[in-house]
Amino acid sequence: MPHPMSVELENVTVTYQEKVALHGVNLSLKSGSIVGLLGMNGSGKSTLFKTIMGFIRPRIGRVQIEGLPISVAQKRGLVAYLPQTEQVDWQFPVSVYDVVMMGRYGYMNVLRLPRPVDRRMVQESLQRVEMWALRNRPIGELSGGQKKRAFLARALAQQAKILLLDEPFNGVDVKTERAIIQLLMELRNLGQTILVSSHDLVSISTFCDQVIFINQTILAYGATAEVFTPENLTRTFGGILPPLPWRGDV
Amino acid sequence: MGLIHGLTAPLQYEFMVKALVLSGLVGVVCGVLSCYLTLKGWALLGDAVAHSVTPGVVLAYVLHIPLAVGAFVFGVGSVLIIGWIQSQTRLKEDTVIGLVFTGLFALGLVLISKTPSNVDFLHILFGNLLGIATPDMIQTVGIGCLTLVVVFVLKNDLLLFCFDPTHARSIGIDITRLYYILLTLVSLTIVVALQAVGIILVVAMLITPGATAYLLTDRFDRMLMLAMLCGLGAAVLGTYLSYYWDAATGGCIVLMQTLWFLLAMGLAPKYGVGRRV
Repeated sequence: MPHPMSVELENVTVTYQEKVALHGVNLSLKSGSIVGLLGMNGSGKSTLFKTIMGFIRPRIGRVQIEGLPISVAQKRGLVAYLPQTEQVDWQFPVSVYDVVMMGRYGYMNVLRLPRPVDRRMVQESLQRVEMWALRNRPIGELSGGQKKRAFLARALAQQAKILLLDEPFNGVDVKTERAIIQLLMELRNLGQTILVSSHDLVSISTFCDQVIFINQTILAYGATAEVFTPENLTRTFGGILPPLPWRGDV
Repeated sequence: MGLIHGLTAPLQYEFMVKALVLSGLVGVVCGVLSCYLTLKGWALLGDAVAHSVTPGVVLAYVLHIPLAVGAFVFGVGSVLIIGWIQSQTRLKEDTVIGLVFTGLFALGLVLISKTPSNVDFLHILFGNLLGIATPDMIQTVGIGCLTLVVVFVLKNDLLLFCFDPTHARSIGIDITRLYYILLTLVSLTIVVALQAVGIILVVAMLITPGATAYLLTDRFDRMLMLAMLCGLGAAVLGTYLSYYWDAATGGCIVLMQTLWFLLAMGLAPKYGVGRRV
């Protein structure tokens, strides 16, 4: 029996009140790959994320995670989502440790009392992103990069097989960006699937195994070396091209 | 000796013992809930629910069913109506909230004025801690304890719901359910608290302790403890004050709450105004 695809979308169409946000999307993401998601604002990147998370039900088509329906995948904590940082109330009275522990809730009983295994996973995850020393700090006192790392640690503690990162490098210093990319590559080598949206085309092209170009539908999808071409970039972004990697190289 | 006598002397009256027990419980229950309301930004919604229960309480009285049932139906109903109007019109949420709760409160006032024995209803508006009847007391204690148990079982889920509902959803936690649970808890707490301070001041009990505690700590567990202590302290001291001054009990309790808040605002080590001087 063949191993199921990590993320599989079949002919997915999503509409918001009769307005089509995505149509005819077919996508099969393999385990152990980093996939870049490129598109302009309003091209359907967030919609695609929300569809994979199961927050939006497609009008037509089917989504499967590791061969399972989304509701089952959610219960098993298979998918972790790193939102853009602005979406959380940073004045909330919780510490870094508390936030990472929230990644373990799905494994706990109804009282959500941490067991030793949960504490160990939280510690390992925080050490992995080099945030263990800051574990007791209120989240509001973190820098942009530290906030990102804390939420990445939560995804690690959740032991998700699939990581969805929405613009993870926004407001993050170069050192943190490199550290995050390094970590993503390690996770990829451990068999995790990573889907990352960004408009930083330069860095996307350097660490992603595959790239998806999106504008209401999939314009191109394949190995970075094959599809990361000027033609596809022009089709995706129209005339307003962001800085391109090869302009400096050639 | 004077202080101890002052605290113990009123305890020879059964009504004072009942009032102190009840106000203490109300203070604790409201204190716990107020943490979630403050963090979720539901202060206005809490006020709306509190006012909206008025017609429910009057109708329950007329129909001889438990007041809590009437209050609960109208409390949750008001939020459903708010959501429905919002989805049907282009109005903003706070406009719709203001519209719905004043409408329902007005309906409650009209019903009160058209119902023969309207003495009881003034107690609903302003509270009647010192004159509470035993059946009401039992009902109030029962609902208060139930609310406390539910909050403590779901403490972390509700926290996650307030902090990051997206993550909650992504790990398969039903946030619609949590929304209605929190809403139900707020409605039940209002039923409990209106016996003590009345509908008009209930919202103070549901906001002030949480706001006070929020200025004092960055840890949620401590915030819960502090809010419970603020609520308990204000309720008990307020009841004594009202006994000695012969003043409105609800007013005294809420004044104590406000006093705690002003103290915290002035003196809180990290978030107080005083730290800048």
